[in-house]
Amino acid sequence: MIENLLVAVILTYIMGGLSALLSKSSKFTIYVSFIASLAASILTVAISISVLILGFEGQDALRVSYLQNATPVGSVIDFMLDDKAAFFTLVVGLVSSAVSIYSIGYAKGYLGKRNVSALGFLFNIFILSMILVVLSNNAFAFLVFWELMSLTSFFLVIYEHEKESNVKSGLIYLIMTHLGTAFIIGSFLTVYAQSGDLSFDSFRQSSASIPPLMKGVVFVLAFIGFGTKAGIVPLHIWLPKAHPSAPSNVSALMSAVMLKVAIYGLVRTIFDFSGIGPSQDFTWWGILMFAAGSVSSLIGVLYAVVEHDIKRALAFHSIENIGIIFIGLGISVIFYSFNLMPLSMLALAASMYHTMNHAIFKGLLFMGAGSVISRIHIRDIERMGGLIKKMPWTALFFLIGAISIAGFPPFNGFISEWLTMQALLSSYQIPSVPVQIIIAFGSLVLALTLGVAAATFVKLFGISFLSKGRSDHVNEAKEVPRMMLLGKGILASLCIILGIFPAAGINLIASAFDFPSSMQLATPFDALSIQNENNPAAPNFASLSIPVAIVLLGSMGLAVFGFARVIGGKQKKTVYGTWDCGFGGLTERMEYTATSLSQPIRSVFKALYKPQYHVQKDFHFNSNQYLPKSIKVESATRDVFEERLYSPTVHAAIGILDRIRRIQTGKVNAYILYIMITLLILLVIVRVFS
Amino acid sequence: MALEPVFGIADWVIGIFQTLAIIVLAPLMTGVMRKVKASSQKRVGSSIFQPYYDLLKLMRKDEVISDQSSWIFRFTPWVVFAATATAALFIPAFVSFTPFSIAGDLLLVVGLFGLARFFTMLAGLDVASAFGGLGSSREMMMSALIEPALFITIFAISLTYGGTNVSTIVSSAVDATIASSAGIITPTLIFASISFFIVLMAETGRIPFDNPATHLELTMVHEAMVLEYSGRSLALLEWAQSIKMAILLTLLVNIFAPWGIVSAGQPQQLGSAILIAPLILAGKMLIVAILIAHIETRIAKWRLFRIPDLLAMAMSSSMIGVIFFYL
Amino acid sequence: MDFPQFDILAVSSALLLVTTFGVVVRQGFLDWLSAYRYQAIALSAVTAIIAYVTGIWEIYIAAALTLAIKAIIIPKVLTFVTQKIKLEVKIEENPYVSLRLSVLISAVLVALSYFLVLEIPIKSDPVVAAYLPLSISLFLIGLFIMVIRRMALNQVVGLLIIENGLFLFATALTHGTSLIIEIGIFVDILVGVIISAILLVRISHTFDTLDIGKLESLKDS
Repeated sequence: MIENLLVAVILTYIMGGLSALLSKSSKFTIYVSFIASLAASILTVAISISVLILGFEGQDALRVSYLQNATPVGSVIDFMLDDKAAFFTLVVGLVSSAVSIYSIGYAKGYLGKRNVSALGFLFNIFILSMILVVLSNNAFAFLVFWELMSLTSFFLVIYEHEKESNVKSGLIYLIMTHLGTAFIIGSFLTVYAQSGDLSFDSFRQSSASIPPLMKGVVFVLAFIGFGTKAGIVPLHIWLPKAHPSAPSNVSALMSAVMLKVAIYGLVRTIFDFSGIGPSQDFTWWGILMFAAGSVSSLIGVLYAVVEHDIKRALAFHSIENIGIIFIGLGISVIFYSFNLMPLSMLALAASMYHTMNHAIFKGLLFMGAGSVISRIHIRDIERMGGLIKKMPWTALFFLIGAISIAGFPPFNGFISEWLTMQALLSSYQIPSVPVQIIIAFGSLVLALTLGVAAATFVKLFGISFLSKGRSDHVNEAKEVPRMMLLGKGILASLCIILGIFPAAGINLIASAFDFPSSMQLATPFDALSIQNENNPAAPNFASLSIPVAIVLLGSMGLAVFGFARVIGGKQKKTVYGTWDCGFGGLTERMEYTATSLSQPIRSVFKALYKPQYHVQKDFHFNSNQYLPKSIKVESATRDVFEERLYSPTVHAAIGILDRIRRIQTGKVNAYILYIMITLLILLVIVRVFS
Repeated sequence: MALEPVFGIADWVIGIFQTLAIIVLAPLMTGVMRKVKASSQKRVGSSIFQPYYDLLKLMRKDEVISDQSSWIFRFTPWVVFAATATAALFIPAFVSFTPFSIAGDLLLVVGLFGLARFFTMLAGLDVASAFGGLGSSREMMMSALIEPALFITIFAISLTYGGTNVSTIVSSAVDATIASSAGIITPTLIFASISFFIVLMAETGRIPFDNPATHLELTMVHEAMVLEYSGRSLALLEWAQSIKMAILLTLLVNIFAPWGIVSAGQPQQLGSAILIAPLILAGKMLIVAILIAHIETRIAKWRLFRIPDLLAMAMSSSMIGVIFFYL
Repeated sequence: MDFPQFDILAVSSALLLVTTFGVVVRQGFLDWLSAYRYQAIALSAVTAIIAYVTGIWEIYIAAALTLAIKAIIIPKVLTFVTQKIKLEVKIEENPYVSLRLSVLISAVLVALSYFLVLEIPIKSDPVVAAYLPLSISLFLIGLFIMVIRRMALNQVVGLLIIENGLFLFATALTHGTSLIIEIGIFVDILVGVIISAILLVRISHTFDTLDIGKLESLKDS
């Protein structure tokens, strides 16, 4: 039965895409394509949840396969929906449904200016390809759909192609993603060399017999390949270029969902194909992921906090959160290698919970940013302000997303952050001191990241939505249409629900990854509790029950409200101008700007940013330098990775290639001569040495 | 894992009593600190109960709200107070456990403080004045740097005492002192206490981090963010600040100097100790408060960009504590 | 039947080589076109000999096809299509390699191909033993012709000789591939020749020259 539903999902996406393509760009196109994707996404969610909760009708996994037909198409239709895949398709489906609803409103903004059929078509195929990547059960299908995903997202990135920067970003994205794909192919081929068959089932069976050195190779290649797609530093440079260039609903999908598909690939490869086992040979894998994750998260958030293009800041933030996911994965692998299974599952739960959370709140934030941009047409927060009064609901949803991503209770970000920290704190059980110390340093970095992340969102939310508008652009702002609000509202409510009732999320993860039932929470009010058997006097290591905490919070709020009412009596509130020290005339020029808000942090981390200040003063009289007419200050931060790592490499490569280019003489004869000489040399070599 | 709390009514009463003690005693700490500062400056100063009078007065005054602000401005004081006061629920004050610990641990406390701080920073930006932005930007930097120091300190504490559940920590500390009076003086804890003390000063905005008594733009951080507030909102915010100070003081003395806390494992003490323990707690807190006040009068507020150095000291101190534990 | 067979094989190889050299030394378009005709005739004769020796009658059909297409149709097509091209274009004025040197190099290539084949254990099959090195030398000479010709049109013959060499290689080794494939190959070569001729006509019209040395300036940068 469920197989048919799966097929129905695939067909719906295809139908949605094709009908969008075939119909002229109009309102009808928008409705058809996005309602199709909405329906298919909801169906995906339903399938995933039913699979996770109800099981597989007696099998270990759901398979839809035409492989035995041995046609080229057949080798591609080879899908398996098991627990882990179901978890990821759930994430994909959830965010896609919300973004589809949002897109109905958002795409209307493109009507008349651009071809909406292309958008609808690419959108549907993009989501479909992501789902099919997760479902693929052989390496060939995986790579085909991976490539399809990259290509459709490339076209979506350059959708607004008259801006040259968008096209450039798209090209860099295309190159980087293909670089990553090459490494992924390498990883798969290494396993294939052992298993002799491209299907993932055979990969799984032969994974234990891969020679140890090769296992390491499989891991490293997969790490680099999937890491490029996920946005690990230093392979991240495409992310802050590509995500902002795409239309906002696509940015939401790319940041929220596509990065998670890369995580899925990595999780599959590590836990299924690479023959990992509870032995300390694999510790370095975990340490590598942990280190890469820590560095990425710190660098990502540091660049986010000084960024004042709202979409770029969110893109850098995605890098940070992927770093946190990698931290969780790395710790999980480290624990696994030391055979500390419950802790490994804890860390994996933390990482996967964060995967789901990030998808939800990043999608929400990008949709919020998109709403703002669609109304006032600028991306620079330095020119925004006061939007909370004009777009109250968007502001509220953005605030919920901001609180979640900063990791404060009572929303879902806090839960995954709590779990990750508990996993880090439990590292004292690892019997190796160097590893413990590395983890301790890593947790320092993580805490710093979280601190700066909160600061980033104070800046992003505060400068854009609060205080007065800083330019005339904001006068055009008004609330966005209901569809866009609905999409955001769905994700915002998920943030709240998953924050207040983490049981839902944890139980889903537990069933997805086959945790023992002792790790599941029986009722929503149970506490997440970590028990320490070694210390019988005080066995409870940590315990968290958010529903109870919310209740306490609420009652405390009510109590103090009553108390204040009792003591203070009823009060009058007068509305008056902001305190201006008696000078009067507070204008928006006197507000804090985004750059100045993050200036202290910029100063503290000077070594990374290498900020440059250009000061230009104009004087009334050149002889009297005490009376300036105007002073202009320009400050810029530099992107260390582009300057120090990528530009020199690219230049060196171009230099070498220029020299090689001399052999292109333009004469056909020369080329044939090259062929002939090569041929002769080869023949002689074969003859002489055989 | 389901954990059925097997607490009787007495336990809940004790828990709530501890919380109320912290909340009610908080302004007293503030008052004491002001008095000490005043007498070291050879002034008479206001009485130690002055903060209570101030709070009562403010509660009864009307408010003036900026026309630039939004609902965030009005919502923030309630959130801040509720979060801080809820955090107080999870802290065992004079008995070594509190039944609320099954719902929250030290990380939740830190998270709630962070929530409060987040909203305060937003409120600072909400009023469209330069002061608010000033305060928020400085607070952003400091809070970003306080987080790692705080987390590594928690790490050190959890390593020594086996958890972030505050009840576990405090009862382990008490058990350690019952076993041997000096049993808790380990290098890890010494370093952790230094770092915790620095973090306490930073979180509550004491000199050298911030001057709670100034309203000059050169020196104010927290005050700048709440500059626009008046009346009842201001009362709530001030009270929340003192509660935060009281919570951190309680944690400091209970974790690092746990003598005198009633241990839950010895119920026969429960009767008499219930009356003595709060006094012992108040005494310890007063000692630390006086110490803080003395420090405040001795040194000046540091330049903003020297503060990262101080926090880096806190970070490295707790890091060394952690490493000591492993070695 | 040893002695006569061996003779025929050797003689036919020699004839084929001679006609190939005939193409090498001719530098004008019409000249090499007629030399190519002879080579095609020689090739079809060789094919017929293979058919006779091995007794497979399909190879006779291949020989006939070779005769028809390569000796008759292709030269006619080429002449027809290139009527419009100016005469100067068709004559090789300033070859990259002088005539003497090119002949010497061709001889070296023939020797090389015999050397290359020496170790391969094909002595059992006399057909293969005779014609395998020959086909490789045809291939190499064709390649060489393509390298040394200055006028683009004259490079076409190099291509044709390469194809002859490959055809001989295939026929000798596998004693005739299936007929369908043979026909396919023939059609392929025919179409290829037509297309390249047409292209060259257009190039000559656009640029007024087919001199590779001058066309080099088209390279960008």
